[in-house]
Amino acid sequence: MIVSISVIVTLSVFYFVFPEGISAQQEEKTFVTMEGAVITTSGEVIDPVLTTATVDFDPDKFLREFNYGRVSQLEDGTTVREFTIIAEDTKVMEISPGVFFNAWTYNGTVPGPTIRVTEGDLLRVKFINNGEKPHTIHFHGIHPAEMDGVFEIVGQGGEFTYEFIAAPAGIHLYHCHVMPVEEHIARGLYGVFIVDPKESRPPADEMVMVLNGFDTDFDTENNSYAANSVPFYYLNNPIQINKNELVRVYVMNILEFDQINNLHMHGNLFDYYPTGTYRVPSAYTDMITFSQGDRGIMEFVYQYPGKYLIHAHKVEFSEKGWVGAFLVKDNPDQESQTGVEYGSKQTIKG
Amino acid sequence: MEVSKPSKAKFIASGIIPFAFVIVLVAYIFGPGSYLLDFGVPLPEITIEKVDFMDSEIRVTVRNTGPIPVEVVIADVNDRIQPAAIEPDRFLERFEVAVVRIPFNWNVAEPYTIGLTIEDGTRFEKEIEAAAPALEPSLELAGFFAIIGTYVGIIPVMIGLLWLPFIKRLKKNKYHFFLALTAGLLLFLGIDSVEEALEVYKENLSQSFNGVLLVATVIVVTFLGLYYVTEKLVKRAESSRIAKPVAVALMIAIGIGLHNFGEGLAIGAAVGIGSIAFSTFLIVGFALHNTTEGIAIAAPMSRGKTMMRKALIGKLAGLGMIAGAPAIFGAWVGGFVYSPFATVVFLSIGAGAIFQVVITVLRWIREEGDKNLSSAAVASGIAVGMLIMYLTSILV
Repeated sequence: MIVSISVIVTLSVFYFVFPEGISAQQEEKTFVTMEGAVITTSGEVIDPVLTTATVDFDPDKFLREFNYGRVSQLEDGTTVREFTIIAEDTKVMEISPGVFFNAWTYNGTVPGPTIRVTEGDLLRVKFINNGEKPHTIHFHGIHPAEMDGVFEIVGQGGEFTYEFIAAPAGIHLYHCHVMPVEEHIARGLYGVFIVDPKESRPPADEMVMVLNGFDTDFDTENNSYAANSVPFYYLNNPIQINKNELVRVYVMNILEFDQINNLHMHGNLFDYYPTGTYRVPSAYTDMITFSQGDRGIMEFVYQYPGKYLIHAHKVEFSEKGWVGAFLVKDNPDQESQTGVEYGSKQTIKG
Repeated sequence: MEVSKPSKAKFIASGIIPFAFVIVLVAYIFGPGSYLLDFGVPLPEITIEKVDFMDSEIRVTVRNTGPIPVEVVIADVNDRIQPAAIEPDRFLERFEVAVVRIPFNWNVAEPYTIGLTIEDGTRFEKEIEAAAPALEPSLELAGFFAIIGTYVGIIPVMIGLLWLPFIKRLKKNKYHFFLALTAGLLLFLGIDSVEEALEVYKENLSQSFNGVLLVATVIVVTFLGLYYVTEKLVKRAESSRIAKPVAVALMIAIGIGLHNFGEGLAIGAAVGIGSIAFSTFLIVGFALHNTTEGIAIAAPMSRGKTMMRKALIGKLAGLGMIAGAPAIFGAWVGGFVYSPFATVVFLSIGAGAIFQVVITVLRWIREEGDKNLSSAAVASGIAVGMLIMYLTSILV
């Protein structure tokens, strides 16, 4: 009796002390780090930095996806663009490889859909709240007070239609404005709202970058940073662009908790148009600093082919995910340089 | 009236039936009654128990100390995400342990915070005050620890034993003072071990180990186990040629040996985490401290039957080794295979052993003396013993 008890006690003590020694060896795997170190392991590699993984959100699709709405015309010739946006706040999404988070979404994604209209269009956004908490949509831009999405709280199951003439031309944003606003934004209720000028901008390869992050453990510090939600995504899936072709990036910073965010592009400089409202660039630079809600338009042309980083020069953010790359292709087909319809560039998958 | 002798089957059944009910009770709560427990949200928890700095690599030992299985998905150093490997795999059941290997060119003596994020996005971290290369077991290092262990454990205890002739010539009253002094010294060491065990638990182990109760349980079990063994040993001593004083001294030596094992662990671990300056103080402090342990062994021995000088020296040397040598083993374990859980257990065993020895010594005084413990010699002896220990402990 005493012997068997002492054997059991000894074994259980050993289990607590050396459990790792008990498990069987598995087949060896090797991985190489960015610094060039080679690691051989019998276990698993957890590498959100250098491995490609798909999550519940596709940054490639989002990058060049513009939503122009259902188009109709009023009798006086005004173009009407109608959108439906549904808010949800109960789903748990994989927002970074292996990390599952209760993100709050417009139309199921973070960021919400990029809404694109032309200055002077009548915008009609039917908003449905399918969440458990009250939400709204607050658009930046010029509109009547009752369309501002601040005091007209939309409760669970409620609806509201925002209707106004889109103005001024530029890149704006929309986001939920229910208290506590910080939480509603940090959880993912935001998107880009582009108003094109009546006289269109020159043709270009256009894309949207929303600089954001997630505080997955609710300590009011971001755990991951990114352009378009998924950390390190464009580092492993570089954004393909063509040499000598004009690229236009609509960039917006919606990062919560951190005071600033910034962006640095390698091997090139760009014209920067803050808020996209003036047609004259404010700077020719490779570096912009944003506060929350700051946004603008970057325009540039790469002369040399190859891979160029784009990342937060606040390196803490880049080492937690806000880093990506452009892959400039040397031999583009000539048509894509001449015949591009404005805003219609489709995703090129490599 | 007929009184039937209950059958053996009935007897066994009467022992088993309550067990059967317990099984039904447990089965109900896991099966059909599980809704009863469906309240609240179980929060996952992992604890980083150990961080080793290897050649261009940081090795993190992590345990799932929460109520539900978890998945480790991101490793970071100083809050910067790093590619890593996890062995055996990233899924951790309750209490399961994994080792996360992070390739990283760390710098000696600089602080690091190691973070691990699980699948729900919660990040757990551990701060390391100063990175130092993990000790690779080698003969050279083992020899180094053996020398340190000898310096701290064996030599001071032997020096303490040199007081034996002095104590031998003391009058009864003064002798009681010395025995009580021994009890005081030991009492202090016991409390010291408990404190150390609780500290290691608090810094390195999760609450789910119920550290305080773990320490208490191990102390009580050790205490009772040794109590039983001592009784047997002393009884046998009475009927054999081993003198009772030698038996008591042996018990004291064993208790102190277990305690010194704990001290060796502390020294090995201190060298292991690279705080050399800290371990120098530790070594000098323990050396001075342990001289007094020699007195504790010498005190009961001094009343033995007169033995041949040679036999006496041999016995004393043996007791000194029993008390001192475990410091060497402790240093090896602490330096090479440090495990916080094992350390807490060992320290608690040491504490239990020492408390048992205190009781043995006090009984010895009581039997030696006039069946009382309330003499001035005893009271002042215990007090002075604790004071001496306190003062020498400040050096550590």
